[in-house]
Amino acid sequence: MGLLSIIRKIKRKEKEMRILMVGLDNSGKTTIVLRINGEDTSVISPTLGFNIKTINYQKYTLNIWDVGGQRTIRSYWRNYFEQTDGLVWVVDSSDVRRLDDCKMELHNILKEERLSGASLLILANKQDIHGALTAEEIAKVLNLDAMDKTRHWKITGCSAYTGEGLLEGFDWLVQDIAARIYVLD
Amino acid sequence: MLHYLARVVQIQHTLSPKSPLRDASVFGALLKKHESMLRRLSDLHQSRIQQSASLKFYSDTKSFLNRFAESRNSIENELDRCSRASDPESRDRLKSDLEKVSAAIADLEKLVAESSYFLPAYEVRSSLDSISQLKESLDVVNAKLLPRKRFAFKNKVVNRDSNNVLGSVVNAVSESGIGVASNEVLVEKPSFRVCDSPGFRNKEGEVLVERFDGEVNGDFTLSDLRSCEVRLIGRFRALFIHRLRDCKVFVGPVLGSILIEEVEGCLFMLASHQIRIHHARESDLYLRVRSRPIIEDSNGVRFAPYRLCYEGIERDLKDSGLDEETGNWENVDDFRWLRAVQSPNWSVLPEEERIPMVNV
Repeated sequence: MGLLSIIRKIKRKEKEMRILMVGLDNSGKTTIVLRINGEDTSVISPTLGFNIKTINYQKYTLNIWDVGGQRTIRSYWRNYFEQTDGLVWVVDSSDVRRLDDCKMELHNILKEERLSGASLLILANKQDIHGALTAEEIAKVLNLDAMDKTRHWKITGCSAYTGEGLLEGFDWLVQDIAARIYVLD
Repeated sequence: MLHYLARVVQIQHTLSPKSPLRDASVFGALLKKHESMLRRLSDLHQSRIQQSASLKFYSDTKSFLNRFAESRNSIENELDRCSRASDPESRDRLKSDLEKVSAAIADLEKLVAESSYFLPAYEVRSSLDSISQLKESLDVVNAKLLPRKRFAFKNKVVNRDSNNVLGSVVNAVSESGIGVASNEVLVEKPSFRVCDSPGFRNKEGEVLVERFDGEVNGDFTLSDLRSCEVRLIGRFRALFIHRLRDCKVFVGPVLGSILIEEVEGCLFMLASHQIRIHHARESDLYLRVRSRPIIEDSNGVRFAPYRLCYEGIERDLKDSGLDEETGNWENVDDFRWLRAVQSPNWSVLPEEERIPMVNV
């Protein structure tokens, strides 16, 4: 208990936030992380395992955990749940066929008690592809309104390819987490 | 005790000459009080002697062991009787009987604890061992005869086939005997458009051709095709391939990613930034890919370099950043084979079995 409170204090001082990026494979998680960090996105292999990026965002330090989404490794997501302040669920808005899969995995992860306090940002990615569903349509399909009322969540359409909508989403996420964790500022 | 008596007598002596209470009646009362006090003290003394005698009885290791063995046997017998009880009458009494056994075990434990100060360490240990054995067998009998519904979180039955959801709800209810709020499990079919994205679906034995002129930001779907030949000429953004059997698929550069699921006996000629292959069997893939292609739950898939030709493909490849051969076609990651040695699920297609350059 003592150690935990010390860790919390240190975290508070450095204004760190731990953000977990999850979603089905091929949804664009790694591309989003690299895009907001201003890195080259032209060669990205499907993630085998996970990547961690530390990004300074406004006055906060974001530790972004980007975890691979292939079916085989989804069972390892749970290893990253601890101490998560923000959860980013990425959806491939053009992959209509697997939206049921996507919905099931999302609702599974939201049952997780360790994530119950985390703010949830849903990124309806690949909006630049013609034929992609809009953020509103995705919200409807994923049945987001049926979510626990205590959850702080937002859905934003975005494109990791053009960068559109990413900042809007992360701005909301960071503000929402900050309002919870750093109330006294 | 004797000391105390001596002191009392002394006090009496010191009191009596100087005390203002010389008067006989007062002195008599005092004496009476004193006598009763003496009596009480001697009673106390007597009872202490008795108690220490009884302690002495138990402080003998041998007699402790006898007593212990006796109680243990009776507890074991009682447990045995309970576990064999089959007639309904004794079953009714089972609960109280088992409670009595549990109390007896607790008493026995107390006895060991009280005697532990004089028992040799070995006896203490062995007695505690036999007590824990008794407790265990009591638990076993308890569990067998009085199964208790333990409180537990249960994973909800998730059935991905929504047609079967009702059935699984019924099963869950009958299995657990607990009513499950059906609206929790029931997943209503989402109402979203499925078929208006461009693509070829549900065809058999056809040649299907699509040219992408100008429109480069669209996605395309191939699904449920059987024995077809597909030619997709030009650039586009994303390709979804689902449930193909014995098909030949030739595709121009895809700027985004390609997702292949459930294919068998097919030939694919693909160029893309990312390629993911799930549930593929006995298929050959000729790839140009900027990142490492991956397979998952697949076997018998073979890989070779991209060899496609159509008018203007050079420009299309260049515009899509796919003009140079990266050699990644053979850097396949098998998510079902996370080891250093080569995965048995895929191989490089031998030169002599590769098809020549295809012109579509």
